[in-house]
Amino acid sequence: MTAPATTDSEYDEIPADPDEGGRAPASRYGVLALAIMLVVGLLLGYAGGLLTPRLTRPGDASVEAGFARDMTTHHAQAVEMSLIAYRSATLPEVRQIAVDIATGQQGEIGAMQTWLREWGLSPTGSNPPMSWMSDGATVKDGLMPGMATPQQMTALRNAQGIEVDRQFLALMYDHHLGGIHMIDAALDATDNDEVLRVANTMKATQQSELNNLRQLQAQAKG
Amino acid sequence: MSISTPGGPERRPTVVSTGKKPAAGRPASGAKAGSGKPTGSPRAGGKGPRKPVTPVKVSQGRAWGPIALFVAVGVLAAGIIGYGAWASFQGSKPWDKRANAIDGIANIRKSDPDSLKYESHKSGPLTWNYSPPVGGVHNAAWQNCMGDVYDAPIANEHAVHSLEHGAVWITYRPDLPKDQVDKLAGKVRGVEKTFMSPYEGLDKPISLQAWGYQLKVDNADDSRIDEFIKDLRVNASVEGPTALCNTGITATGTTPRELQQQPTQ
Repeated sequence: MTAPATTDSEYDEIPADPDEGGRAPASRYGVLALAIMLVVGLLLGYAGGLLTPRLTRPGDASVEAGFARDMTTHHAQAVEMSLIAYRSATLPEVRQIAVDIATGQQGEIGAMQTWLREWGLSPTGSNPPMSWMSDGATVKDGLMPGMATPQQMTALRNAQGIEVDRQFLALMYDHHLGGIHMIDAALDATDNDEVLRVANTMKATQQSELNNLRQLQAQAKG
Repeated sequence: MSISTPGGPERRPTVVSTGKKPAAGRPASGAKAGSGKPTGSPRAGGKGPRKPVTPVKVSQGRAWGPIALFVAVGVLAAGIIGYGAWASFQGSKPWDKRANAIDGIANIRKSDPDSLKYESHKSGPLTWNYSPPVGGVHNAAWQNCMGDVYDAPIANEHAVHSLEHGAVWITYRPDLPKDQVDKLAGKVRGVEKTFMSPYEGLDKPISLQAWGYQLKVDNADDSRIDEFIKDLRVNASVEGPTALCNTGITATGTTPRELQQQPTQ
């Protein structure tokens, strides 16, 4: 890079007096300037390309991150209830829907955990649960909307016979209602395509499951 | 450019005059655009005046333009890159780095990794080098860790299995004041991948465990408790974020239980 510039300056110096030697850097700077600008420009572009996806992806306090974390917690309890029902319920249809809910929601937990990883975020947040929801849904004793209390979970575990079916159906019905409430809040607030897609699927699934749960409740009444 | 240079007279004005005019003109353009354009100005400006004038001073003035420009662009570039790097570094600082920064934490993964190794699940009572244990061999059954608050001691043999699944286990001296116990329970209830239980013979009032990590504190108000949970819950899982905390043992008692053929309760 410097070689041609030096040649140039030599040309300049031929007709010039010694003083003119000082001016040679001007043309050198011209070439150098162009080269450096080019390099700096490329670096800037490269850095921008690298950073843009990082700076535009959901942050630690975003609705998307809050939804992924809290819905993981919410889903985790649905999986727990459903596995209890799968093991202990009486009606085959109840055990069938229970295993469907358990595996389906556990799969969704995996998807949401993968988002957080891809966004470079921890699965645990610094903000209190549900703080991403604008309507200020309440957390009672650490429980998100629709979640069963520790007493209700213990009762479900200790239930026998058809009582398992009845308790599970009632608890899961409320659980889905609370879940849909949270999903709606996310749908309102996000424009992330992947989050929208998954949240819409979740909502549709849980809504159809609500109908099936209600039907099974009638059956379990006997 | 280089082809036409042999024409001495033509070349000279270019060199000389640039020094005069651009000395004033260049800084302005350089300050404005910051990239691309300003490069043209030194040469374009040079086409104007013809007569060679003063020497040394002029060429010095000429040099400052590009330098100022490069510095400006360089600072801008460094700023953008630096900010981006800082932001992404902060955002994705690994959990283990954050955990290791907790004052007083014991990192057994680093200090005693062999104690965490085991061949397979082992049934019956087991022993560990740490109290409470922080990892290593355990029973096939895990303790339910869906935010369960146990009011009596539980079996280490199950609790260690829960740690393997990414749970944080909070233990406290049975004589810990009730308000302190309630405070701890508030951090656990409703939060999957956490559980807590009283523990006999602790050398400090409260001890927190994750797989390969331990932190002992005196008070439930200690802010390091929240930091420990935030950094290590789920993250410390040996089996990833989807390892189960449900379908575990929900009973208390320090004698380990065998898995049952049929649901017990």
